[in-house]
Amino acid sequence: METTNPGAQPAAAPAAGETLLRVENLVKHFEIRGGLLGISTIGAVRAVDGVSFSVRKGETLGLVGESGCGKTTLGKVILRLIPATSGKVTVKNRVLFDIPTEEERKAGRRATVLDAGEMKKARRDLQVVFQDPYASLNPRMSVGEIVGEGPLVHGLTDKGKREDLVRELLARVGLNQSHIHRYPHEFSGGQRQRIGIARALALNPDFVVCDEPVSALDVSIQSQVLNLLDDLQQELGLTYLFIAHNLAVVEHISDRVGVMYLGMMVELAEVDDIYVRPAHPYTVALLSAVPDPNPRNRRRRVILKGDIPSPANPPSGCRFHTRCWLRERLGNPEQCTTVVPEFREIQPGHAVACHFAEEVTPDTIGAAARTGGPVAS
Amino acid sequence: MTQRPTRTGELLSIDGLKTHFYTQDGVVKAVDGVSFGIRNGETLGVVGESGCGKSITALSVMRLIERPGRIVAGSIRLADRDLLALSDEEMRDVRGNAISMIFQEPMTSLNPVYPCGDQIAEAISLHEGIHRREAGDRAIEMLSQVGIPDAKRRAREYPHQLSGGMRQRVMIAMALSTNPELLIADEPTTALDVTIQAQILELMKALRERNRMAIMLITHDLGVIAEMADDVVVMYSGKVVESSDVNTVFEQPHHPYTKGLLASIPRLGEKRHRLEVIQGVVPNPLNLPKGCLFKRRCPSAMPVCDTPPPLQEIQPGHLSRCWLTPAGEPPEIGADAEAETAVAAAAALTVEA
Ligand SMILES: Nc1ncnc2c1ncn2[C@@H]1O[C@H](COP(=O)(O)OP(=O)(O)OP(=O)(O)O)[C@@H](O)[C@H]1O
Ligand SMILES: Nc1ncnc2c1ncn2[C@@H]1O[C@H](COP(=O)(O)OP(=O)(O)OP(=O)(O)O)[C@@H](O)[C@H]1O
Ligand code: SF4
Ligand SMILES: [Mg+2]
Ligand SMILES: [Mg+2]
Repeated sequence: METTNPGAQPAAAPAAGETLLRVENLVKHFEIRGGLLGISTIGAVRAVDGVSFSVRKGETLGLVGESGCGKTTLGKVILRLIPATSGKVTVKNRVLFDIPTEEERKAGRRATVLDAGEMKKARRDLQVVFQDPYASLNPRMSVGEIVGEGPLVHGLTDKGKREDLVRELLARVGLNQSHIHRYPHEFSGGQRQRIGIARALALNPDFVVCDEPVSALDVSIQSQVLNLLDDLQQELGLTYLFIAHNLAVVEHISDRVGVMYLGMMVELAEVDDIYVRPAHPYTVALLSAVPDPNPRNRRRRVILKGDIPSPANPPSGCRFHTRCWLRERLGNPEQCTTVVPEFREIQPGHAVACHFAEEVTPDTIGAAARTGGPVAS
Repeated sequence: MTQRPTRTGELLSIDGLKTHFYTQDGVVKAVDGVSFGIRNGETLGVVGESGCGKSITALSVMRLIERPGRIVAGSIRLADRDLLALSDEEMRDVRGNAISMIFQEPMTSLNPVYPCGDQIAEAISLHEGIHRREAGDRAIEMLSQVGIPDAKRRAREYPHQLSGGMRQRVMIAMALSTNPELLIADEPTTALDVTIQAQILELMKALRERNRMAIMLITHDLGVIAEMADDVVVMYSGKVVESSDVNTVFEQPHHPYTKGLLASIPRLGEKRHRLEVIQGVVPNPLNLPKGCLFKRRCPSAMPVCDTPPPLQEIQPGHLSRCWLTPAGEPPEIGADAEAETAVAAAAALTVEA
């Protein structure tokens, strides 16, 4: 089967619990402009290219993948911070948007998008904590203004009560309440990240996208923020989409984990499943690449060759085929270069997009680890 | 205080190094009495949080400290040469030959207006006095050795045309093209993705084996240290707080800071549990606490910690800058000994590293 529309992926269904967020065939292409006047479209960065998954109420879905694979874009499109090219997002049974693909549009299907007033209400439930605690806070606003702005705009508080609300939020994230009139530059990175978290919590959201919330922090501060996110989830019943490239951090905080490669979800499973029995060759390599902080465990690893291809010009068939150790081992089957692998369940709740996922075994992994290595001689 | 005896075969020996910055707001003691050594063929890992002085230590060895910074004390020796006594010209020669450095930010050390291959060829031709043409061929060879596919074409490209991983490999190729005795690698993989980091670390291991060079590897990633280092130096606020061989540091850390660091990192394969945390933040370099620099964050802090702690030998070759005894007990003079007693005790317990 030649699949030209990689968006035709089934959603890996959450095993139990009420579904809070459902993402279906989500696509985000950034047009590359060029030509004489710089106005004609000469291509597209396929940042998110047909991603489907759901998140249960109260769980943390971790999202990992290397730089540029589309994690941030995915988070922003879900929150409607940037418009989707096509696809559907549903939060608490309310459709935020449902945008047809080009073909569907030609066939007469119309887009559904929540109107501005309804979206404003929906937005209260959907918050985000960004990676960079330096860039994401307005330097000219005091902590009280930053944290209290959202509730004020949404009419959840008035100028008089705002200060009390902010003090309560600061205490909740472990900041000194008397710092309410200070400005961002007077805080350390970890403290700024707490301010960002307090701002996200101010609207009492159900769902928080955490985009690399600890990546910019030193290790000793990172654990403080991770514990805080954990506590808040317990206390407030929050649901997280937790984006990070640190696999140990993601394992620590997540219930389920999705792995992205070049705009696509290549594997999604319960955290124990995916870390113990990864089924996609890319996940195997990603996990084996993590340096283990145990000097007695200098294991052999599966080293991938080459760099991550450009999402403006992704490889045909399976996007991972240019770096895939399994394909090489199987004698370069043609399927890998011509057919987009289906995102299929190999076990209940464990979905993977590889034609040969069943061949990912301790034997093949062991053999690949022995022959890997980028050094020419 | 006595000088640390040079261990046999030590290639780089740093003793009592102090590099201070004289800023408008006051003196930043970025490196404040750092001592360690690296033998031929050995890899020394330097760890510590942002701002603890890792890069400034490295730049001091290269003698690339710029105003308002200055090396104000200590000695840096490379084999039998006193680097701090060399003329600028002699030092340039050392930098082009005996020591190479991979800088934390690759774009700052690659010249944007020259093709990558030319930059490596330049280094080789200066180093070996061979013709540019021949050096150009050698540069291409180096690029393919560090795993750059289609090296001939890539050699003609400019730094901005390469991905981060490739730029880092170009840096490594350039650093290694002169066959240095000592490679200083400042966060060589921090900006890279894990699969690319794994490639670069494999590469460094292979080249280390082949060339028997010594490596000073700076990183804040304890995983990278565990994987690469023979010995480890842990820095905190400009000082070495603990040093030993890699297994000892990871398995029997003594300093509460090292212990805290090791306990606070999530590790692959460990079940979900509450992470240990180190309370508080690193001190402001312009306003350092009296006594132990870690005391405000330290779970074991005692009144005696208001006096600078001794650098004690915990076991042969294992040093820790802390008042706790090797067994982890309060010192013999008592947890709340008078300052005068404490100063004398610290001097007696200190082994000058
Ligand atoms: N506004 C934009 N215009 C054009 N291309 C974009 C834009 N935003 C992102 N991209 C491209 O989309 C791709 C995915 O980017 P994204 O930021 O989502 O990746 P990421 O997985 O979050 O990476 P990182 O780990 O580096 O944060 C990249 O190739 C990026 O260059
Ligand atoms: N030009 C300068 N003027 C004043 N202070 C400086 C200067 N350069 C460095 N410092 C200070 O010296 C200290 C040590 O800096 P250094 O760059 O060595 O840290 P580092 O350990 O390499 O940190 P990182 O992990 O962030 O790279 C810091 O407190 C820094 O602010
Ligand atoms: S489909 Fe082929 S190329 Fe893709 S991951 Fe599986 S084996 Fe590798
Ligand atoms: Mg991102
Ligand atoms: Mg540095």
